[in-house]
Order: sequence, then structure tokens, then C-alpha cells
Amino acid sequence: MKKFIDILIKLGSVDRRYIFVLVGLSVLIPLIWPINIPIRATQQSQNVFNAIEGLAPNSKVLVSFEYGPSTKPEIHPMSLALLRQLFENGLKVYATALWPDGLFMSADAFGTMESEYDLEYGVDYVNLGFRPGNEAVVKGIAADIPTLYTTDTRGIQITAIPMMKGIHDVKDFDFVFSLSAGYPGTKEWVQYACDPHNVPMSTGCTSIQVTEVIPYVEHGQVKGILAGMPGAAEYEKLVNHPGLATGMMAAQSFAHLVIVAFIIFGNITYFVQRKRDQKK
Amino acid sequence: MLTAELLGAWFSVFLTLGILSYLYDDNPFYKAAEHIFVGVSAGYWASIYYWTQVQPNLFGRLWPALPEGTKTGFFHQLWYGIYHFLGYISSGSFPEGGIQGHAEIRMIYLIPLILGIFMLMRLIPKIGWLARWAIAYIVGMAAGLRFYGFLNSDVMEQIKASNINFSGNGIVLLNGIIIVIGTLCGLLYFFFSKEHTGVFGKLSKVGIYFLMISFGASFGFAVMGRISLLIGRFNDLIEYSGHEFHNATFWLLGIMILLLFIWAFTGKNKQDKAAA
Repeated sequence: MKKFIDILIKLGSVDRRYIFVLVGLSVLIPLIWPINIPIRATQQSQNVFNAIEGLAPNSKVLVSFEYGPSTKPEIHPMSLALLRQLFENGLKVYATALWPDGLFMSADAFGTMESEYDLEYGVDYVNLGFRPGNEAVVKGIAADIPTLYTTDTRGIQITAIPMMKGIHDVKDFDFVFSLSAGYPGTKEWVQYACDPHNVPMSTGCTSIQVTEVIPYVEHGQVKGILAGMPGAAEYEKLVNHPGLATGMMAAQSFAHLVIVAFIIFGNITYFVQRKRDQKK
Repeated sequence: MLTAELLGAWFSVFLTLGILSYLYDDNPFYKAAEHIFVGVSAGYWASIYYWTQVQPNLFGRLWPALPEGTKTGFFHQLWYGIYHFLGYISSGSFPEGGIQGHAEIRMIYLIPLILGIFMLMRLIPKIGWLARWAIAYIVGMAAGLRFYGFLNSDVMEQIKASNINFSGNGIVLLNGIIIVIGTLCGLLYFFFSKEHTGVFGKLSKVGIYFLMISFGASFGFAVMGRISLLIGRFNDLIEYSGHEFHNATFWLLGIMILLLFIWAFTGKNKQDKAAA
């Protein structure tokens, strides 16, 4: 028993680089040899889906891209799944970006959509692009869009875009969706646009933001939430179009198992070591 | 054939492996990747900010391309004389005839222009104090704007949300009671005007447990997020290891391991010599 405890303590003080390698392998192996794991939509993802499904055809949906390449693996799959649902339901999509990188993420997402659906720019969707100013931009969208956006990402005058006719402020939209990876993001949409003007909104955000946004979701200020990569995978299942996130879920799950095992192991060795020190 | 996509893929692999190499030790590859990232980000943001905001929304409002037939006087000619001078410096930013997008000159936009110039005065130490005016405006504006947002959505709405719903079923009722207890005990923990002893101490301890659960949830989500990012990078490394990218991942990984080995070996030799 003493020998076993010695080994346990020795393993507890193993070089952190071995742990990095093991976590890395737990991610890499399921990506090289994919494993299908069952995905079941949570109630929050289902609420997002239901909220969008409840919109009448030709409803106007403002989609805000607030993420960049660093958070692309989490948010981009949900962007694609969401846009598929929006276009399949015949909704009008108005895109904006609070992050400079969001501009390119939206261009990438619309490029994919154009290859899948017969879309006409300015009629089915418009990309208003990025404006710096963080919450001031959200406030600007809530108050006066034509002053904030004079041209879209293609340099077309806003007044010349057919689907921009009758769009003055956030109240002219039927729904707002924030694809958010931090500040400015979902929180700012709730605080400066959707709460004050009673516009329904929903969000797809990074895992790290979930605890920050969930109080709004619980109170109904935000209609459901897509939480990180699992949220994206669930939404891909809901829109019946398995994609990137679904394929990555096995790696995510294995990595979690390894990390949980290390946490348990680390705690056991910590308590064993402490007990031994107390005896001394 | 060398294409932009191929070059981008190799560069992406190099930067990814360079950053990941920090897990071994702080090394020249990591430093190079870090500096490239900071430099490119600064340049990219500056460019995006200029072409999406400063040029169309600030200069565009100060010197718009006015509709034909607009009456022009002495002031107009003087004002657009400045514009023509700026046009000599940068015809891309100040195109001939004015900037498209607005129908009238908005002189009020001179205020943000002046505040912006004040901000840059930090580069000249003697008049660097002027930047404080711009910072004061930003802080004041942000404080006012945020106060309203937080008061409405985070304070008022969340107080409403923490009410116990007595008309709900057992689980809803239990959930409401837990939220009220957690909120009150959590707030008590941060009340430092009274010593945390007796009943007050016990309640604040309950508050600590609620806070720990909350931090645990945040930590769990943070780990999940970081793993997702790792998956994203690995996915790209796997993609770029293919023949169409000339096995970029394998080549760069091999070269980096070899160079890191040499770097570590020579570094150790130098340390040994220095110690001797």
C-alpha cells in the first residue's frame, strides 16, 4: 500500500508537459479517427430553434457577427446552421458586425449560403458590415440606422438597397440574433437595444460567456441560448444539417473526460500528500 | 504552384505550431509568432477602423460629395480648398469631388475630429495633456451609457427575475427559493462593515458556497471553450497536412522540432559554460 501511495504522489508531481501531451492526444485522436456520438438538443437550444420557427415568412432578422478567427470553431458552425434555418424559412437577413473580424466571418458564412441557396443580395440578405464604437454602435442601431450606416460592405448606398426600405431602427426588426464571442456582444444587445425596445432576441455564444448570459435567458430577456460548440452541434441536429460542430464533439467529449480524470487524480494525490504531511 | 492559399496555409501552420511550442518552453518560434500576431493585429485594426469609420463617417460628413446644383460660396470654396490639399496627400482617402454618402456638410463632426487629434497628442510629451480631454469625453460618455444599460437590464430586470414564483410547480418554487437564498447570502459575503461571525458569518459562508459553485461553472465553461479552440487549431493542422498543401504540418513540425532541439542543446551548452 505504501508503495502504491508513493507512486501516486510521484505521479501527482509529474511535469505539466506530459499532461499537455495527453490532453492534446485526447483531442487529436478522435479528430483523425472520427467517432459518432449521439447528440441531444437541450431545452435552451430547442428554445432558440422554436423562436426562429415561430417567425412568419419575410420577417426581418438582424444577425450580428461578434466573433473572429480565434473563436471560429465555436461560433461559425452555429452561424451556418442559423443562416440555413433563416433562409429555408424565407426570412430576410440583415447582417452587422460589432467586431472588425466579424465582417470576414459574415462574408465567409454568406459565401457558403450563396453556394447552397438561390439568394439575391439586397433582396434576401444584406451585409451592413462593421462599425467601431462597441455599445455606441448598438445604441446607434437602436436609434437611427441610416445615420450609422451610409453604405454596406459592397459600398452600395443604403438608400439604394431594396430590403433597407422602411428600416430606421431596431424596432423595425422582428428578431435579433447575436453571434457573440465577448465584448461587445450579447450583453450589449440586451442592454442597449432589445430590452429598451422590446425586440425579441436570441444568442449563440462562446462557452466562456454562458454564465454571464444565462441570467438573461432565465428571465426571458434572451430566448434560449446556443452554448459553445455543444450548442452549435445541437443546432446542426435541429436544422437537420450535421456539420463541423457535430464532427468535433467526440474530440470535445474525450478531452473533457481526460481533464476530469486529471482533476480527480490531482485531488486524490493532494489529499494523500496532505495526510502524509500531517502524520509527519 | 505557389498560391496565396498555399502560402496562407503554411503561414497558419507556422504560427499555430509557434504558439503551441510555448508549452515546451519560451522559445524563438513562440516569440516570432507572438510579435507577428501583435503587429498584424495592430495594423489590421487600424486599417479597418480607418476605412469603415474615419474615412466614410467622419471625413465623409465633413467633406461630402454635394449634389449637383448646390450653392457654393466663399466658405465652401475655402473648406473644400483644405480638402483638395488633403487630396494631394492621399487621393484614396480624399477622392476628387468629395466623399460619397452624405448630402450636406456636418460641421458638428469637427468635435470628434479635434478630440481624435488630441488623442494622438500623447505622442508629443509636451502637449500630451491634451489627450486627457478626449479620454475624459470617452470615460464620461461610456459611464453614462453603461449606467442606463446596467440599471435597466441587469439591476431592475434581474431583481424582477429573482422573485419567487408561488404559482409555479414544486421545482419552479424550489429554484426560486435557491436563487433568493444564493443572491442574499452572496451579497452578505461582500458586506464588510460587520464582522463575519455568528449567524451573519454562517450566512456569508453559505454565500461563499454559492460563489464557488458559480466560479466552478465558469471554470468548466472556460475549459470547454479552450478545448473548442484547440480542436479548431488541430482541425486546421490536419487539413493542412494533406498533399494539396504539400504536407505543410509535417514539414514545419519536423523543422521546428529539429531547430528547437538545436536551440535547447546550444542554450544548455551556453548555460554550462557560463556556470563554469
